[in-house]
Amino acid sequence: MAVRIRLHRMLFSVAALALLVVSAAVATPAVVRAAETPRRGGVLLAVIGAEPPSLDPHQESTFANIQLVAPLYSTLLQFDPHSFPKIIGDVATEWKISPDGLIYTFKIRQGIRFHDGSPLTAADVKASYDKIVFPPQGVRSSRRTAFTAIERVEAPDPGTVVFRLKFPSASLIANLASPWNVIFPKKYLDQDPNYFKTKVVGSGPFKFKSYVRGSTFEGERNPDYFVKDRPYLDGYKFFISTETSVRAAAIRSGRAYVEFRNLPGPEVEAIKKQLGDKVVVQETPVTAHWGIAVNNTVKPFNDVRVRKALTLAIDRYTASRVLYPLTGLKLVGGVMRPGSEWEMPEADLQKYPGFGKDAEKNRAEARRLLAEAGYPNGFKVVLKNRNIKLPYQDWAVFAIQEWKKIGVEAENRPLETAAWFSDGRDKGNFELMVYPPVEFMDDPDLFLGRFVTGANNNWGRMSDPRVDDLFARQARVRDPVERKQLTDEIQRIVLENAYFIPGLWWTRNLVHWAKMRNYVAPPSYYSNQKLQDVWLAED
Amino acid sequence: MRTYLAKRLLLIVPTLLGVASLVFLIMRVIPGDVALLILGGDGGNIDQAQLVAMHRELGLDQPLLVQFGTWLWGVLRFDFGTSLWTGQPVVEELLIRLPLSLELAFLATGVSVLIAIPLGMLAAARQDTWVDYVVRVISIGGLAIPSFWVGILVILLLVIYFGWGPPLEFTPPWVDPWANFQQMVWPVLTVGYRYAAVTTRMTRSTVLEVLREDYIRTAWAKGLAERVIVIRHALKNAMLPVITLIGTEFAFLIGGLVVTETVFTLNGVGRFVVDAVAHRDYPVVQALVFVIAFGFVIVNLLIDLTYAWFDPRIRYR
Amino acid sequence: MSVQYPLVQVRVSEPLAPRLTFAEEVVKFVRTKPLGAAGALVVLAMLFVAVFVEALTRYDPYQGDYALQFARPSAEHWFGTDEFGRDLLTRIMYGARIALFVGFTASFAGCTLGALLGVLSAYWGGTLDLLLERLMDVLLAFPQLILALAIASILGPAVQNVVVAIAIPVIPRVARVVRATALSVKEHQYVEAVQALGASRPRVVLRHIIPNIMAPYLIMLTAQLGAAILAEAALSYLGLGTAEPTPSWGLMLSGSAASYAEKAPWIALFPGIAISLAVFGFNLFGDSLRDALDPKLRRG
Repeated sequence: MAVRIRLHRMLFSVAALALLVVSAAVATPAVVRAAETPRRGGVLLAVIGAEPPSLDPHQESTFANIQLVAPLYSTLLQFDPHSFPKIIGDVATEWKISPDGLIYTFKIRQGIRFHDGSPLTAADVKASYDKIVFPPQGVRSSRRTAFTAIERVEAPDPGTVVFRLKFPSASLIANLASPWNVIFPKKYLDQDPNYFKTKVVGSGPFKFKSYVRGSTFEGERNPDYFVKDRPYLDGYKFFISTETSVRAAAIRSGRAYVEFRNLPGPEVEAIKKQLGDKVVVQETPVTAHWGIAVNNTVKPFNDVRVRKALTLAIDRYTASRVLYPLTGLKLVGGVMRPGSEWEMPEADLQKYPGFGKDAEKNRAEARRLLAEAGYPNGFKVVLKNRNIKLPYQDWAVFAIQEWKKIGVEAENRPLETAAWFSDGRDKGNFELMVYPPVEFMDDPDLFLGRFVTGANNNWGRMSDPRVDDLFARQARVRDPVERKQLTDEIQRIVLENAYFIPGLWWTRNLVHWAKMRNYVAPPSYYSNQKLQDVWLAED
Repeated sequence: MRTYLAKRLLLIVPTLLGVASLVFLIMRVIPGDVALLILGGDGGNIDQAQLVAMHRELGLDQPLLVQFGTWLWGVLRFDFGTSLWTGQPVVEELLIRLPLSLELAFLATGVSVLIAIPLGMLAAARQDTWVDYVVRVISIGGLAIPSFWVGILVILLLVIYFGWGPPLEFTPPWVDPWANFQQMVWPVLTVGYRYAAVTTRMTRSTVLEVLREDYIRTAWAKGLAERVIVIRHALKNAMLPVITLIGTEFAFLIGGLVVTETVFTLNGVGRFVVDAVAHRDYPVVQALVFVIAFGFVIVNLLIDLTYAWFDPRIRYR
Repeated sequence: MSVQYPLVQVRVSEPLAPRLTFAEEVVKFVRTKPLGAAGALVVLAMLFVAVFVEALTRYDPYQGDYALQFARPSAEHWFGTDEFGRDLLTRIMYGARIALFVGFTASFAGCTLGALLGVLSAYWGGTLDLLLERLMDVLLAFPQLILALAIASILGPAVQNVVVAIAIPVIPRVARVVRATALSVKEHQYVEAVQALGASRPRVVLRHIIPNIMAPYLIMLTAQLGAAILAEAALSYLGLGTAEPTPSWGLMLSGSAASYAEKAPWIALFPGIAISLAVFGFNLFGDSLRDALDPKLRRG
């Protein structure tokens, strides 16, 4: 993770200090090199593997959107670029929460201007959040459901924004820091709420320069940015290239300096081998994991014994060893990310089906359960999947092999993305489905919401009133300790009943040329894309 | 001749109508919903109410026949509608990608014709000698080796041994010819090789057939030099099927080079169409298929007219 | 003045073109068309491997040895192992089975259906011909890749569906060629003669037209064999062909093989070679077959 960078920095500082000491001791004038001074200028060249349907972050959910437009906008709050998940202000300078947790008051920085010169005031913040929380007819808002607690947004004066809630919301501050919730100028929203699907008027460190669909996206430096002396770069340019090995080749040849999402292990090895110190690899855990959704409404998966057998059969520790060099799938954990504040510690985890370390014993137990449920010779099943190679296919291949050992013959059936959403989310037309819960941060509202009866992303159509109740309670509890107890309980219920088969949590490799400085890869590839502190040591 | 022309032109209409109907139907039969795709992104939440609203916004809630009629009516006025994925006019999207695909198609055809026709003639004139064998092996190689594999190998070798990669964006040749060359030379050669292979084989076989004709025997008997026989007499007649082949393959080059475009990061029509299919972006797919089919039909018509011009028997069929 | 032309007695010292036995035909083929023979050899080798693969290898193409991911070629694993530790040679041999299945079935189905439609269209003429011709034109004008893509999307990824997706674009192409040939046969005078003698329609078709379209049919068949294998590779590359963990050559070449190209080049090399060799073989054999069958060329 960022540990690698920190180590470098630490060693460097130690070395510098040692040099200073030695030089002072020798009493010759020494050149003290402290932290490097950022160099101004240069255009950051990046490759990206997909293209968004539109440029409006309120309406999209794909990394292809946020990576391209994040540098052009500001948000109310943001995650600290050097210290995820610490939350600091962006457009907001300070905030107060009322004791009952129902009134959030934000002070807006003075003197911010949009790229067209007009000032950014609380009215713009209100208009933007009105669009997110109360979208007008015909306008979609992908994050609306995260703000159900908001009753209304007010802008009593140009420097103050007030959020009034219907009930306390534990995740509100984190959601306000979401990179998707950018601030638009009110006057364009009034003209047409869909204005920003194709046009850009923001207040970010960069201004929109050009977009050739299918090919490139460019931004240039905003000289009037409200943070003094930022950004360092003259501009940035994304090249769109859908083939992974081609993107890796682009980095190797220097046509691009960075790929902000992920490159698979073997490519990273090859790049490192060829470029050595010229390139930096930041490996970070991601707020995403690949598992298998079980359709709880269909025989035989409505039988908890069958579900348990399926999850018991998968040896996750071997999976980690085998799949990590191929796909980056690495960490064994429950349904909240291991390494985060919500994790279930390994000692606890091992009590639940599928997480024990004795694989043979687990398999025997699985066979026993299957026989008890009426399938002594196993059965055939179709495992539907998405037709993207990494890590979907590799995960399926592993799982299928594991199930063979208990007599379950699974056929891998990759579907095009459109059909995958249709069968999985929309119609529930599957028995087993490879499914990755991916969110922009570790919030329980986001990750555990899919276990609530009738939730939109409850692909497995599970229904357990205990979970529903616990979820509703944890969403309103503001004391983190109490909240953790509630979320732990949800995890236990889900794992014990195998409503969902968790797999492995993902780590990603963000590769960039060493000349690109001051960028720390966060666990989510949606965050830290503003590029305002990034600089190039040379062109 | 005129009646033949009129008859052929008339026959284009049902063909194009058939293609339009077929692509329309096929796209609707494929499971998947573009609205779900857009709302779904990488896998987050979806709101049912928003889904319904989006369907209405995109016109997807109308009965199929209405949608088909609306689209067809638009086509007649050269309005291919707007992309469901980006909301931009389809024609605009197409025009971004067309110059690159056209350049690639022309250059690849040019390169391959320059190589293939002489080689094919040579192989035919020297049938069953080692010259023939070498040409046949090389040309079958062009067919047999998967082109996407060749493409990836080329890129890999360039980057491993020279640390160099081709440019990632398209610059038209009139803006910066050197940048254009750097990007286009590799796909042109890769595609050209395969294309040359097909054309060489076709040339060889038609020249072979023609060389067996009686009138060629007469030329031999008359004592004409081999070069004269092959080039002056055989080639003319052998060229007709070859030209047919070039014509039909050209249409393929515009819309069919998906993998080449992906591998060489070319923002061309082929990739655009495949992406549109993946996105269930009906207007785009319908428009592109229609345009490609139209081009194909016109090219065929021109070729058939050329045949009819040369061979009076056909006109009176 | 009369000129005396000596009468030349043509002594027939050998019987006219005696029938050769099958073995002698084969020998003649190998001698006169070595390239074609080489192609035939490749095809036969593929067939042999595909049929007897279980006896030829002890490895399971699906179960990998997780301790041996990315192993180099060695005595244990002649072609090395892939990313899951599966023996590559074994997977390539099982892949031959799939390639042959896809190649033969798609090609055979497409060509036969196309030939039938072509003959039907040519012989019955009239409105049926007109309608069929339109239908074939529509299918021909439709970009092949998109048609295959769409069909694969509808039916889902599985070997059988890939066959259908590849076979359908073949039909109009074969129909067109066969129809043209059948038409030219139909117009030959001897067919008219036979009909004048009162031969029934089916008899004419069976005894006279079909034998004459055999040559273009066989040629298209062998040509499409190679094309089918390549089409399966391309579809798998785009994620619409066969699905993991099926050991199909096209799938082995897809996407991530390029990512492993430096760490383990054998993963992409051998399937690529296998595909190329197979298509090579089919095409060489088909070429020579055509040369041998073409009545015009036999004289040469």
